[in-house]
Amino acid sequence: MNDLEIFKKLMELKEREITVCLATIIETAGSTPRGTGAKMIICMDGTIYGSIGGGCGESQARSAALRSTLITQKPQILEIDLTDDLGTKGGDVCGGKLWVFIEPL
Amino acid sequence: MDIHVRIVELLKKEKIFCLATVLTSNISDVRPGQKAIVYDKGDIVGSLGSTKLDSDLAGLAQKAFKENKSQVAEIEAGVKFFLNILSPDAQLILCGAGHIAIPLARFAQPLKFRVVVIDDRPDFASPSRFPNCKIIAEDFTAALRDYHFSSNTYVVVITRGHEHDADCLIEILKKKTVYVGLIGSRRRVRFVLEMLAEKGYSRARIKDVFTPIGLPIGAESPEEIALSIVSELVCVRRKGSVQARALRNAVGIDL
Repeated sequence: MNDLEIFKKLMELKEREITVCLATIIETAGSTPRGTGAKMIICMDGTIYGSIGGGCGESQARSAALRSTLITQKPQILEIDLTDDLGTKGGDVCGGKLWVFIEPL
Repeated sequence: MDIHVRIVELLKKEKIFCLATVLTSNISDVRPGQKAIVYDKGDIVGSLGSTKLDSDLAGLAQKAFKENKSQVAEIEAGVKFFLNILSPDAQLILCGAGHIAIPLARFAQPLKFRVVVIDDRPDFASPSRFPNCKIIAEDFTAALRDYHFSSNTYVVVITRGHEHDADCLIEILKKKTVYVGLIGSRRRVRFVLEMLAEKGYSRARIKDVFTPIGLPIGAESPEEIALSIVSELVCVRRKGSVQARALRNAVGIDL
């Protein structure tokens, strides 16, 4: 999804009074599947729109989004490490790190 | 007005702007998640409540615009922003709907270029030859003169003859573009460029035209030529025109 589609979807979800969180990649280091500015919408039922790169990073972002919305009600910066050498621990193998801003909207 | 409504409006109008989001803050009136829109001219929608902060933010956004790169910036100790440069999807205008345009349109679409095809021959500029493209079957001059170029427009000139190439470039070079490429033999290209100089276009603007077109991969068939052109477009988008020129210079292409 491009930025226009993300923001349109965001407004549509808000109009339907669905509680949502926006996750945006704000910084990356090393090799990551998606770059700075990539966005993903997380709904409280777990539905996601868009992508910040797939895999474990996205599931971490999803948990953080639930925490931000349901517990702290504050935005947070999440660091996601994709440096698991060979993916042996079930992690991602891209080798980089990314920082994601998670905000309840 | 909700700032998201404004964001959608700007994206629909294909404007370039910076969406600034507060990441961390130790100022009570500036809270994490708060957003402001900064235009490329420096105006701000959603003031931070102090002229000093607003002008510092505008300054940092200018840097991000110049680098065309979204980034994290610290406006003062403890106050960090994410400056997200939002620009429209790249638009690729193909002037000429001949045998290279077909694979070029096909390759460019999955690479996230919205393709527009212009040709004065309706048999060539037809939806059956160019699925999912915008088709303008009109005279080149009129079509280009009236067509809205976004802030993210790439143009490839591959018409059937040098007179048409020249007609296209006369209109294209009046507008702002990210990339202009012109196909042709050295002789044909030189004719077109000299004609533009006679018309009064500056040498600097004429030099912006990538010609011969495409990265030097030894392309021969229409598909190979299309691949070399689309590779050059990706290079310009990701690394800038300086790198795309450096690749050509590396093998001695210089007009």
